[in-house]
Amino acid sequence: MSETIRLRARGVVRGRAEGVALVADATLSFWGEVDPVSGKVIGKGHPLEGQSLAGRVLVIRSTRGSSATPMVLNLAKLENVAPAAFINEEVDSLAALGAIVNGIPMVTDLECSPFEVIRTGDYVVVDATEGVVEIRRTEAQASGGG
Amino acid sequence: MELTPDQRAILEGARGPYLAQCMRWLVEWGEVMGARRLVRCDNTHVLLCVPNLVARGASARTLETFAEGLKEACRHPVAPHCVATVHTLFVTLDPLDVPENDPGQVQVQREIAEMAARAGYLTTFTCAPYLVGNVPLKGEICAWTESSAVVYANSILGARTVRHGNESAIAASLLGVVPEFGVLLDENRRGTLLVEVRAELRHATDWGALGYFTGKIAGLGIPVFDGVRRPSQDEAKQLCAALATSGGVSMFHIAGVTPEAPTLEAAFGGKVPRERVIFTERDLRETYAALRNATGDEIEAVILGCPHASLREISRVARWLEGKRVADGVRLWINAARVTRCAADEMGFTALIEAAGGRILCDTCPTNMRIACRRLVTDGFKQAHYARGMTGAEVIVADTEACLRAALTGRWMGDE
Repeated sequence: MSETIRLRARGVVRGRAEGVALVADATLSFWGEVDPVSGKVIGKGHPLEGQSLAGRVLVIRSTRGSSATPMVLNLAKLENVAPAAFINEEVDSLAALGAIVNGIPMVTDLECSPFEVIRTGDYVVVDATEGVVEIRRTEAQASGGG
Repeated sequence: MELTPDQRAILEGARGPYLAQCMRWLVEWGEVMGARRLVRCDNTHVLLCVPNLVARGASARTLETFAEGLKEACRHPVAPHCVATVHTLFVTLDPLDVPENDPGQVQVQREIAEMAARAGYLTTFTCAPYLVGNVPLKGEICAWTESSAVVYANSILGARTVRHGNESAIAASLLGVVPEFGVLLDENRRGTLLVEVRAELRHATDWGALGYFTGKIAGLGIPVFDGVRRPSQDEAKQLCAALATSGGVSMFHIAGVTPEAPTLEAAFGGKVPRERVIFTERDLRETYAALRNATGDEIEAVILGCPHASLREISRVARWLEGKRVADGVRLWINAARVTRCAADEMGFTALIEAAGGRILCDTCPTNMRIACRRLVTDGFKQAHYARGMTGAEVIVADTEACLRAALTGRWMGDE
């Protein structure tokens, strides 16, 4: 058994991607807190420390801007460890630029808080062109196994 | 976004695929950020650097593809009306006998530097372009990377730039336009937070402490400082860098200093500040204490020049060091733009610093190079913050003279 939740969202950077969600109600700086080669969060004490962003749908409050954000995303993309898509509560201009130049879809303004409906481990399809986020969860995950 | 016929033609490929891609970056970014048009931009500061140890362990293919992207950018000339300077590198082009200065990456960086110069960029390789001749005037629309320089341009010079990434700054350099959003517009340049300063700011590093304290509170907002005197250029440099380190600040106001803020009322655009904080002597002391994490007093390095040192800062260090000697095994490095070092060479300052056992590091800084260090002393809050976070160093942030005293003994002896 599985359940599917469909939510409306505002597409920021067009495109469609899917992957396993990685969720933290926190900000993240790609400069200094993410290793572009391993794709892991290296920020000491960050809620996602040690987690890999590779192929994940990254659900965070926002990124914290740095001029180097697009560069770090570009290197991660070349190493095949970039996130598949961004679901952000707030749009940081430099993450948006990084997503545009690296072709990573981004959405914001979900019809309810992403932290209330998306859990780490959920399978999420982000269609930023249509403005839809689809969350697929198996029963094991829904009961807390994911 | 509304485009002119010329802009639309470029987007559709009239000037080739690379400029079409540049135009697409600017247009899509502008649409995301709510811009309604592109406006002329005469001044850029761009990143054209190979990643060096930022991409430690990356495949050869990744490094080649990344470098090829920079080379492709440099095959197109900078717009004739645009001044374009180049940001700090992750390597130094000087001979430097540390394993962190990867010779293969240095060679590729040299090739890119030569191509950039031919394309019309001024290869300044500095995080402080305003110290080496890129000094935009009030109201001038710019496209600058480097968050500390963005704050300086907006707040001290009264120029206008949002925080750029490498692709948008390159696109702005080639096309001579930027999307109009953020602090390019009057209504987004007004203060949001009043900071009443009740502490005495004794030297440039204290101004850094004020910035580091305020950045955490301000986030993406615009602080307005009340109760401070006019800072020197070097003090303003520390304030700007620290604000952009602990927060996402693009600009601040000091009444009578920020060109568009003759009064406190003008800084807030006639509105009442949304938030008000007080910066006390205790906040000043606690800001230093919170960043310092040294567990002992033996030090390995003293790092000055973050952001890159001015000629005046170098002259003061050189005169202070005259006749003195840095302790064996301690690295005393002053980071500076190559242009500034050339002037320091001519004026004899470099010789004085080297005679004492120090060096001027050009094009980059130790944290950008990811030079490993167990414990360091620095006069820059930004350097201390990133050295602690990115290289795992234990850090002590202190004023320049206390840093220099530590360099002579190899031990941290306290602030006084």
